[in-house]
Amino acid sequence: MTGRVLHAHLHLLDRQVVAADGRLLCKVDDLEIEPGEVPYVTAILSGPLALGPRVGGVAGRLMTGITRLFRPEEDPAPRRIPMNLVGEIGSAVTVGGDVPEAALERWVREHLIDPLPGSGGAGPGRRGPGPVRRPEVPARDRLSSLVGRRVVDRDGGPVGQVADVQLTQDGPLLGETAQALRLSGLVVVPRHTGQLFGYERGPGGSSPALVRVVIRRLHRGSRFVSWDQVGDPGDPIGLTVPRADLLPLAELLTRGDASASG
Amino acid sequence: MRRLLLIGLLLLAGCASPAWNDADYGKKAGATAEAAASSVALVRLAVEHEARLTRPYLQTLLTETVTALGSVDSQFGAVQPPSPEAARVRAEITELTSEAAEQVQVLLNEVRLREIADPEKAAADLAALGDRLRAFAESRPS
Amino acid sequence: MKRFFAVTLGILTAIGGFVDIGDLVANALVGSRFGLSLAWVVVVGVVGICLFAEMAGRVAAVSGRPVFDLVRERLGPRAGLLNLAASFGINLLTLAAEIGGAALALELATGIDYLLWVPAVGLVAWLVMWRVRFETMERVFGLAGLALIVFLVAFFALGPDYGELGHQLTHNPSDDGAATYWFYAVALLGAAMTPYEVFFFSSGGVEERWTRRDLGVMRANVFVGFPLGGLLSIAIAACAATVFLPRMIEVETLGQMVLPAGLAFGQIGLALVIFGVFAATFGATLETALSSGYSISQYFGWQWGKYVRPREAARFHATLLVSTIVAVALILTTIDPIKVTEYSLVFSAAALPLTYLPVLMIANDPDYMGDRVNGRFSNSLGTVYMILLLVVAVAAVPLMLATKAGQ
Repeated sequence: MTGRVLHAHLHLLDRQVVAADGRLLCKVDDLEIEPGEVPYVTAILSGPLALGPRVGGVAGRLMTGITRLFRPEEDPAPRRIPMNLVGEIGSAVTVGGDVPEAALERWVREHLIDPLPGSGGAGPGRRGPGPVRRPEVPARDRLSSLVGRRVVDRDGGPVGQVADVQLTQDGPLLGETAQALRLSGLVVVPRHTGQLFGYERGPGGSSPALVRVVIRRLHRGSRFVSWDQVGDPGDPIGLTVPRADLLPLAELLTRGDASASG
Repeated sequence: MRRLLLIGLLLLAGCASPAWNDADYGKKAGATAEAAASSVALVRLAVEHEARLTRPYLQTLLTETVTALGSVDSQFGAVQPPSPEAARVRAEITELTSEAAEQVQVLLNEVRLREIADPEKAAADLAALGDRLRAFAESRPS
Repeated sequence: MKRFFAVTLGILTAIGGFVDIGDLVANALVGSRFGLSLAWVVVVGVVGICLFAEMAGRVAAVSGRPVFDLVRERLGPRAGLLNLAASFGINLLTLAAEIGGAALALELATGIDYLLWVPAVGLVAWLVMWRVRFETMERVFGLAGLALIVFLVAFFALGPDYGELGHQLTHNPSDDGAATYWFYAVALLGAAMTPYEVFFFSSGGVEERWTRRDLGVMRANVFVGFPLGGLLSIAIAACAATVFLPRMIEVETLGQMVLPAGLAFGQIGLALVIFGVFAATFGATLETALSSGYSISQYFGWQWGKYVRPREAARFHATLLVSTIVAVALILTTIDPIKVTEYSLVFSAAALPLTYLPVLMIANDPDYMGDRVNGRFSNSLGTVYMILLLVVAVAAVPLMLATKAGQ
């Protein structure tokens, strides 16, 4: 049995995280990965400490800097939602269980909103568990650190840079039933052409025609690298095969179709 | 975006910049007369129908106009005319606009007290003044 | 009657787009300078906003995801943040202007200086957002804004010269240069398609808990609300073209633009139109303030909305409170509210593609939409509008520079 195939950027990152009761929790700001022979996704990371590094530049540094300043811990880490709590992954990501509330939300409620008249009761109400903290998540454990990395083939020739990461739901068991999302491949684009929008993969998102043509043209020459073709997952990522052996991205589209129907 | 805003602000500052040569000065005077004529025509329209309009409304409208006409004086006063010819132009336009401001101020005072004493005469005066402003504007290159 | 109430969200949204404080004056100014020769732009704008609001509303109804969720998801965190910064800035400026506009309407009604009204307007607006239910809010202010229909009636009562107005539809009566004409064309299109309309409309759909079954209600909102907004906007221009254009009066202030209704119906007309202006600007105040809260919450994934108690959406309500305070402070510096919206309109025209492209993409994504993806008609028209918006975005700022903002 082959598991469900997702693309991290296209299907998971930046989506809304929703609790089982419909409360909006956060965004999927980044994903935590367990490195190793078969790397897989262990948790959703959220909050400014996860988002800041992805935004980068002055704005990103400002975001992380301010958050660190107001955090009591020595090495504050982003909020973590373990993958075994994740239920459905669709237009939003649904999580079950008692998910800790964001620190800022709690602070704003207690210091600004509750004291105002008519806020809906300043009583203790539902007081969820405080945020679970753990030491800083190092950059190499974040999925976003893979994106943008250069890729070279067996002979050291440049292939391009990573634009997205393919995930397959056939990794080790998390909890009782759910299987982890394993890192199963990389989408490599020849140059920096910005965001991929899903038009180069399919089967969905193929219209309007003009947008599709423009975006496919921008990303022509993109290749798919399956994880077993990766030799050295460092920086740059070294492959075990020559460039010519790589699958053009367009072929993934037809393959994706086959696995979706099969 | 930030850069665009900056350009926008610079541009705004540019709108109020002094005119340097005779032609610019004349053009600016013409545009000012045009704007003043437009304000005067509007006040005239309101005065002609003053019986049908409310007092707070008339009061606000006239106050606005007085302020707008008054700002013309200060705007031209701040610019050094580049030549004697330009100085003559300035004298002419500021005279016209102050006259307009005065007339509207008188009307405003009347409205504040009770109502416009003689709307027909006021409308006729405003019409005459408006014609002079338009004539001035048309005599300038635009 | 219940059916009629169902479309008030569309009406309130459209009022914020077409007849908010900047547009009330801009429409009258355009009418007094260019007659009806720019009416076609309003029609193009109405079609465009209907098209994209329908897509955004459909995405919201089917997937429960409002527009800024889509922006962040498709554009990624960087471009999304850029859009957020631009939209939030524009929203805040517009909010300040709308508060000023509502205060100006109160000045016209009472003769008391508008600056004294500003804090009161800000406070009441915040109280409405804090306590009043979304449905009540949209009904009261959507319907009250309809008092502006007095412009339409006034237009017929003023005995216009239909031949001349008809001629203006295709001939520009002004002797200003082409650049000025096109500057106002861009400003009017920007006003019709301001991003906060789709933020508010799609978030409002989520507030009302639309589902697939409500697609009919959603479409009714779109196809009643926005054309009505466009009609009001053309009626204002037509009144100005009838009253002001022949007398060579260029409208610059709110006080001047309401005059046609007074001329047509005397004190009652004046009272109605001032009430309508107040309702429209106050409605736009709510729309822009809520949009600023919606956009920032949806970018960061915070709980938002008036469908939960304020303490459950603490960061959202804190944003509303802070934005309102900042906007009130901004307008108390005595900057001209009308000028503010005119400039922010042009900047928002430049930011349009960043909002509408993700909407167009996701409306085609079966992941979100299932079988409710765009049809061929929506896609063809959507592509045409995307190109148009790109052209407008590129042209907006240069046109503003070249014409000194339409002077």
